[in-house]
Amino acid sequence: MSAPLLALRGVRKVFGQRQLFSIGSLAIEEGRAYVLIGPNGSGKTTLMRIIAGLDRDAGGRLEFRGVPANFGLYPERLRRAIVYVHQHPYLFHTSLRHNLEYGLKRRRIPAAERARRVEEAVAWAGLIDRHAIPPAELSGGEKQRAALARARALEPELLLLDEPTSSLDREGRAQTLALLAQLRDERRTVIVACHDQEIIDLPGFRRLRLDDGRLAAPAG
Amino acid sequence: MDLLEPTRQAFALLFSGDPRLWQAIWLSLWVSVAAIALVAAPSIALGFLLAKKRFPGQRAAVVLVQALLSFPTVVIGLVIYLLLSRRGPFGSFELLFTPWAIMFGYMVIAFPILVVFTLSAVQGADPRVFETARCLGAGRLAASLTTLWEVRFGVLAAVVNGFGRAISEVGCAIMVGGNIAGLTRNIPTAIALETTKGDFSQGIALGFVLMVVALGVNVLLALLQGRGGLR
Repeated sequence: MSAPLLALRGVRKVFGQRQLFSIGSLAIEEGRAYVLIGPNGSGKTTLMRIIAGLDRDAGGRLEFRGVPANFGLYPERLRRAIVYVHQHPYLFHTSLRHNLEYGLKRRRIPAAERARRVEEAVAWAGLIDRHAIPPAELSGGEKQRAALARARALEPELLLLDEPTSSLDREGRAQTLALLAQLRDERRTVIVACHDQEIIDLPGFRRLRLDDGRLAAPAG
Repeated sequence: MDLLEPTRQAFALLFSGDPRLWQAIWLSLWVSVAAIALVAAPSIALGFLLAKKRFPGQRAAVVLVQALLSFPTVVIGLVIYLLLSRRGPFGSFELLFTPWAIMFGYMVIAFPILVVFTLSAVQGADPRVFETARCLGAGRLAASLTTLWEVRFGVLAAVVNGFGRAISEVGCAIMVGGNIAGLTRNIPTAIALETTKGDFSQGIALGFVLMVVALGVNVLLALLQGRGGLR
């Protein structure tokens, strides 16, 4: 059996005297979609940030494609492989195009390929008619979709989405749910931290439950 | 006192192309621009580091730079004078009473303004900017530059304020420049000198130029902010 895309070993997070969680092991398989659920304060966001290398003050280690790494010396290579999208995504105060191109330029993707991916991302997120509007003027749902498209355009090996529907209205939620279903259908490896029952109930998403400092992967 | 006649004379002087007057204006402009051009990059970098990095003595460094803001410019002039005077450690370069000495003084004066304004702008930046850039694959330097770009109007305000302080400074320029006509006399030192001599028309003309420059730079900043969207 091949190694999982991502494996966590003995990951612990402590705040002062309080241990937030201790995860014995977790394996994330390539091409699978997961939902990370759990009560408020259980550490879902913290775990996502640890995996993304944004919180490097954690015990334990991770293996990515079988290659071990520790959080304190988070490898730059993983920053290209794993993309995290904040609960309230930040769009740079430039243009939508610049936002979509930002990570592609960092990866030195040739201009023609960049242009193709940007066009595809705009269409995927349903933002063709909003192309020329400054990001600050987009609605909450449009910002969320733009952030998802920006992350997806990078074709990351693992996509981490933090509460992508938390502050959206009904229409925004429905559009974001449709994009999540597409990510699943495209067989992207994605972990979605959420409370949203509609995401939790999306077929094909495996559940990971973080509760009382422990991580469990219940069936279903 | 009649202000109308000196004011009329001042404008006549300005438009007559008086060489002494325009020499002082030109000196003020190039020395101030050069000083800001040289000191801006390191000051902005230091302001960014003080805002983003945690290290022992960081707080003390911030307090020190803030204290430099309220340092009298004549004291800065005195220190530079001692450093550049013939018996000082840099006396052999013979820079005292040259425009270069004034430029160096302006750099020292503008430095804390640029650092503190940048520090404040970066501290006010959304913490997600740096993280987002990193998550999208930017290295530390690229993510830092992205953060600075996101707070570009704050950084631009730092540069404008540093320039404004430099071009209007008088104490340090007199100390290290000596107010030598045709060589180191600039707008503020000329105003100070001509006013003490009772030549108000020259003082008014130069004061007018100084205000036009200050207004022009600030209008430019406002226009840029307007185009980029105020945050």
